[in-house]
Amino acid sequence: MPEALLAMRGITKRFPGVTANDGVSFDLRPGEIHALVGENGAGKTTLMKILYGLHHPDSGSIEIRGRPASIRGPREAIRLGIGMVHQHFMLFPPFSVLENVTIGEESSVAGILKPAVPRRRIRALVEENRLAVDPDAKVEELSVGQQQRVEILKILYRGAEILVFDEPTAVLTPQEAEDLFRTFREMVRQGKGIIFISHKLDEVLAIADRITVIRQGRVVETMDRASATKPRIAELMVGKPVLLDVERPPFQPGAVVLEILELKIRSSRGYLVVDGLTLSVRGGEIYGVAGVEGNGQTELVKAVAEGLEAESGRVLLEGRDLGRCGVRERRARGIAHIPEDRQKEGLLLPFSLAWNIALGRHDKPPYVSRLRILNEKAVRERARATIERFDIRTPSEDTPANALSGGNQQKAVVAREIETGARLLVAAQPTRGVDIGATEFIHRQLLQARADGRAVLLVSADLDELLALSDRIGVIYKGRIVREFDHDRAAREEVGLAMTGGSIHA
Amino acid sequence: MRSRGSVRNTVLERAAPFIGFLASAVVLVAIVIVLGENPGRAFEAIYKFTFSNAAKAAQVLSVSIPYYISGLAVALAFKAGVFNMGVEGQYFVGGFTAALAGIYLKLPPLIHIPIVVLAAMLGGALWALIPALLKVRRGIHEVITTILFNNIAVALVTYFVNNPFSGIQKGVSLEPQTKKIAASAVFQKLNGLFRAVGWNVPDYVYLDYSLIVAVVMGLVIWFLLSRTRSGFEIRAVGTSIDVSRYAGIKVKKVQIGAFLASGALAGLIGLQEIFAIREFYTYSLASGLGFDGVAISLIGRNSPIGVIFSAGLFGFLRQAGYGLQLFTKVPNSVTYAIQGLMILFIVVINEVLIRVVRALRKKEAL
Repeated sequence: MPEALLAMRGITKRFPGVTANDGVSFDLRPGEIHALVGENGAGKTTLMKILYGLHHPDSGSIEIRGRPASIRGPREAIRLGIGMVHQHFMLFPPFSVLENVTIGEESSVAGILKPAVPRRRIRALVEENRLAVDPDAKVEELSVGQQQRVEILKILYRGAEILVFDEPTAVLTPQEAEDLFRTFREMVRQGKGIIFISHKLDEVLAIADRITVIRQGRVVETMDRASATKPRIAELMVGKPVLLDVERPPFQPGAVVLEILELKIRSSRGYLVVDGLTLSVRGGEIYGVAGVEGNGQTELVKAVAEGLEAESGRVLLEGRDLGRCGVRERRARGIAHIPEDRQKEGLLLPFSLAWNIALGRHDKPPYVSRLRILNEKAVRERARATIERFDIRTPSEDTPANALSGGNQQKAVVAREIETGARLLVAAQPTRGVDIGATEFIHRQLLQARADGRAVLLVSADLDELLALSDRIGVIYKGRIVREFDHDRAAREEVGLAMTGGSIHA
Repeated sequence: MRSRGSVRNTVLERAAPFIGFLASAVVLVAIVIVLGENPGRAFEAIYKFTFSNAAKAAQVLSVSIPYYISGLAVALAFKAGVFNMGVEGQYFVGGFTAALAGIYLKLPPLIHIPIVVLAAMLGGALWALIPALLKVRRGIHEVITTILFNNIAVALVTYFVNNPFSGIQKGVSLEPQTKKIAASAVFQKLNGLFRAVGWNVPDYVYLDYSLIVAVVMGLVIWFLLSRTRSGFEIRAVGTSIDVSRYAGIKVKKVQIGAFLASGALAGLIGLQEIFAIREFYTYSLASGLGFDGVAISLIGRNSPIGVIFSAGLFGFLRQAGYGLQLFTKVPNSVTYAIQGLMILFIVVINEVLIRVVRALRKKEAL
């Protein structure tokens, strides 16, 4: 067995009131992809921050290539060959790929930049690692997948041997994820080691050599891929058996609730982002919208839930044209909306959880009196009931939303929108960046809404989620629904193919 | 029930102004020593001019009144995410419209005083209207428009006071000014009232009706922000426009409303000087009060209650500056430097503490 690239032994890190890592041991061999899985708050991030020198362990040791290392900061981590690709990219959009990669390590003679040398090196790295990206392109012109490649180039350029990826596929299309995994394989072939943090167990099983599960700051188990199964990992993560495939009662469609006819929306840049889109959703139906990001999903959701101005076409709710209704009126007529980005759109982060649960209905009784005076008591009482019913983990209803974990923030948003009792639920990326436990919970809520006879328009980048939940899947491509699949006819490959504009019938 | 942790968090969240105050006091001591003065003497001078007796304390309160109203005006706009840098101009215009109502209307005091107050608010709101509309309709940033409108306001009132509404009485004063405010609109002093309850406020200190205006406005704004739906929507818009829009809040309406209300409050800043102290209007009213409001609002964390303290602090510093000037070698301008430094300290310390509290909360929620 080759000497370990990295060995972390007995790492313990306490924060006031919580032990984030409790005697964690973790190692990485050269040429290995080692997946680190666990729910949000389990301690993965803390462990990686310790590795990167952002936190210092209270006890425990780190060895790199057999040598004890005390990592005092990121600069030292980089020197030791540790590189990290964060979930949120740290790039300068107006700068070129080359400038972004070499930043801080520019090659210059007497203060004058000499880009030729780094350009050659970057080209070589691109070649060796199958990281198709042009060194002279501007970062702002790149797709998300390409930007991620720039991040990878950045750490390879600095000689990283131990590469940490924090949920790298969360922002990628299935195709881009495939490309990333190909890069992974290239890199491990060269003897590098990869630590892969992910919530998506299918990916973990597909790519990892070993899998370490941590729960509540402790390593529960490290296993080889051969002995790992999806239900087993999920159970280890959550601490109890998880129903991965939620039960889906038979489809009993009701009357049409949402009807979109020939909708066209022009973007601020002047082209049609939604281009003659037609679809309808019935009561008791989950209609899934599949597609590569940027094909008009965001605008479709905004047109239905927020009245984004359309150039032509109609949006009807229970047969009535919504026309130019504003959000308030749409909500009153029976549209609930789980927004794409809970932090940016869904929650007033510094406000208490209680007020966030009231948000959107804050202008209706019992939250306000007729004199428009707020009823704080009602807000808190209702919030307590909601927190209880939806099992939102929080110290109290007074806790600000920004103190909750991502999963619990999302649960609060979902709970709030479900509780409106609206006829139509528009759910955009409802489980993005959410851990397994919360994902299962949110899926059950969507199915419950369906069982209650409500219509659900589900937009998701997670194809497995769509396949599991949707009664029908419409594939959106260049602003229109190009194909529709019934639940039992939707094959993963065929839907995936349609997403890229290809079709057997086209 | 509140846990011990949440009490600690609340204390930490509010601690910045106090730490900043102490830090700038330390710097003041250093400056005093560098200037070759005895720090003990400097503090004595400050004490003598601020809290040594009832009269001095009342004077601090008196000069704090316009500061408070100005801070409140800026704070209300800030709460809605609107940067009203035009409080200065709104104060000049609001004061002018109020003065017109005070000079030319013939009414009994019981009606005349409230009318004057309303006129001040109307004038201030009016001066905020165009920048507000330009912001929501055309997306022109209010920082630019309001600052430009400040200049227009000064030019406008200068013209009015010099020409159509000039009231210079030959031989009395050469300062351009309007006619005198009608007796029925003059703000009477409340000093007698304070003396009746045992606070010995001498006659030369102005604790007039404008104090009542400030208190009432503070209560109204506090209630509006914390207890009403409109206040909730103002705070929501100030926190995130995206979330507010998502929740069905009419963002533009809220912004215009808060902007105009801020302007209306700004209109009240000059009441004390115009209606109690001078009893006429002039364009050489105390300048800079509107901009002080920005700092006062910031230090008071944009809260109607916090602004009480920061306005008081500004009043205190002003009097302290006079004390230093008179009794020591320290020039008055040092207090302005200390003011600036204090704001810097508070803003930075506040940011640090906010981060600390956020991290602590996150750990609790895990």
